[in-house]
Amino acid sequence: MKALLPRLYLVAIFTFVFAPIVTSMVFSFNSDRFPTVPLGGFTLHWYETAFARPEVWTAFGNSALVALSAAALSTALGFATAYTDFRYNFRWKPAYLALALLPPTVPLVIMGLAMLAWLGRLGLSGTLPGIVIAHTVMGAPFAMAICRLRLSQMDPSLEAAAWNLGASPMRAMRVVVLPFCMPALISAFCLTAAVSFDEFVVAWFVSGLNKTVPVMILEILQGNVDPQINAIGTVVFVTSMTLVIAAQLIILRKTSR
Amino acid sequence: MTDTDPLVRFDGVRKSYGDFEAVKGIDLTIGRGEFVAIMGPSGCGKTTTLRMLAGLEAPSAGDITIGGKRMNDVPPHERDTPLVWQSLALFPFLNVKENVEFGLKMRGVSDTEAHGRAMLWLERMGLKGFEKRRVDELSGGQRQRVALARSLVTEPQMLLLDEPLSALDAHLVIRMQGVLTRLQRELGITFVYVTHSQSEAFAMADRVVIMGQGEIAQVGAPRDIFRAPRTRFVAEFVGRNNILPGAGGGEISVAADRMTVSDVAPGGTAIEAAFLSEEFAGTGIICYFEDASGRELKAQVSEAELERLSLEPGAKVWLSWPDEAAHPLEPKSIDE
Repeated sequence: MKALLPRLYLVAIFTFVFAPIVTSMVFSFNSDRFPTVPLGGFTLHWYETAFARPEVWTAFGNSALVALSAAALSTALGFATAYTDFRYNFRWKPAYLALALLPPTVPLVIMGLAMLAWLGRLGLSGTLPGIVIAHTVMGAPFAMAICRLRLSQMDPSLEAAAWNLGASPMRAMRVVVLPFCMPALISAFCLTAAVSFDEFVVAWFVSGLNKTVPVMILEILQGNVDPQINAIGTVVFVTSMTLVIAAQLIILRKTSR
Repeated sequence: MTDTDPLVRFDGVRKSYGDFEAVKGIDLTIGRGEFVAIMGPSGCGKTTTLRMLAGLEAPSAGDITIGGKRMNDVPPHERDTPLVWQSLALFPFLNVKENVEFGLKMRGVSDTEAHGRAMLWLERMGLKGFEKRRVDELSGGQRQRVALARSLVTEPQMLLLDEPLSALDAHLVIRMQGVLTRLQRELGITFVYVTHSQSEAFAMADRVVIMGQGEIAQVGAPRDIFRAPRTRFVAEFVGRNNILPGAGGGEISVAADRMTVSDVAPGGTAIEAAFLSEEFAGTGIICYFEDASGRELKAQVSEAELERLSLEPGAKVWLSWPDEAAHPLEPKSIDE
């Protein structure tokens, strides 16, 4: 009986958070043109029409390519930053760490504008590599945080033990440090891929004609209210959630033992 | 080079970190097949010395030679100096056998040979049947033996040990001491064993190196150091010694078990002191006294003797010692 109130509270919170998304999902299968209650019949029509449009496929292709590239780069950069912190001591380390963790604190509109100005100078604005760079900047701090957590669980003698047993520093990295950090690396990859896949603001500034899915959704929305949006949104949500949940499961399973 | 040349030589080796000097110029030779323990309080430089031997730290000055070759700039992975770590540092993502095979694989030994040699060592360490286990499924003693097998499987000429028994329960420590001394004798290789534990060092080592504040305070056989500490630092750190004013003005040390307690003043040198307390040790009973100047004195007595003396706290007794038990201490004291 005592546990009832906290449970209700929990249900209320999750309802509050997920209700809009669930609503959008429900309407994506609703045969009526407008999102009204009572619902019409069940249909896959909106999925069929949405994915019959070539620009939707192009946008998904762009998003997937950008997400995978940005995730790979963010994870590599994040791991390297975390390893530097783990392994070396130097004078300006606090400043180094603060700088490395700074990007998420920059307001997205500012970040988008700055990226547009900078990438424009490099001739990369409106290109996929441009979006990849922007999303790498945004994802790397998350990847670093995850890798740092894992490295903090590593016995500092472990790497030295590998050298001591005849492994060169490069080999020790490959056979000891990376295997130890593998769950964090996979987790960081999934999470940064999810961050990139549904990131809108910065992508809107720098994507130009090479639209990613969130940018395309806005363009469709600006035209009219179309249930296809619900269908596309549901696919985006399921993709991101799968990546985030995978990341959580991998890191939790490894750190619990 | 002959077999009688020392295996390891430290020549004026120093190590400093910024302003802090961890090792202040040590000279030391370690022979082939010798069991040497480096002992000292924490922060004395013993672990730094061991890490320099393994190449994990580079000396700031001086030379370290192994087998006649100057090793200062040789990286750890090109040395043959396996180390048993205080944390053991077993690879958690590898099973027991893969841990033991690691050093062989890094040295390019074929898979089948590595498997065979690892299995032999696992059997030798009483770990047969455990080869597929994860290392975190093993007991402390088993993990210890995996760490030993992992270091010895490459047949090194020298094994380094950094406080390997400090995490074990007391009864396991005694058993592992037996395992280590037997292994060292059977293999005939050099063991360099770093510890802060006097009982471990003195139970196993042929020679003990006492370090304090980055310097070597004394080197010798356990018995010699125990009986004749050279400085006040060693006398206080090792055994249960009384430090007393000597006849010539300097200080002498007398081991607690050479002290005689009597209720009447004996002839010859003696100190009157008040009884404080008693403590049961493995080999007898240590009684603590305080003399008129407030100096604490210790004497080891048997149970029968304690009963005969029937000491009450504050009771005045006389402590005396035979002349040959008094060892003059060098005036220099490195802990000051």
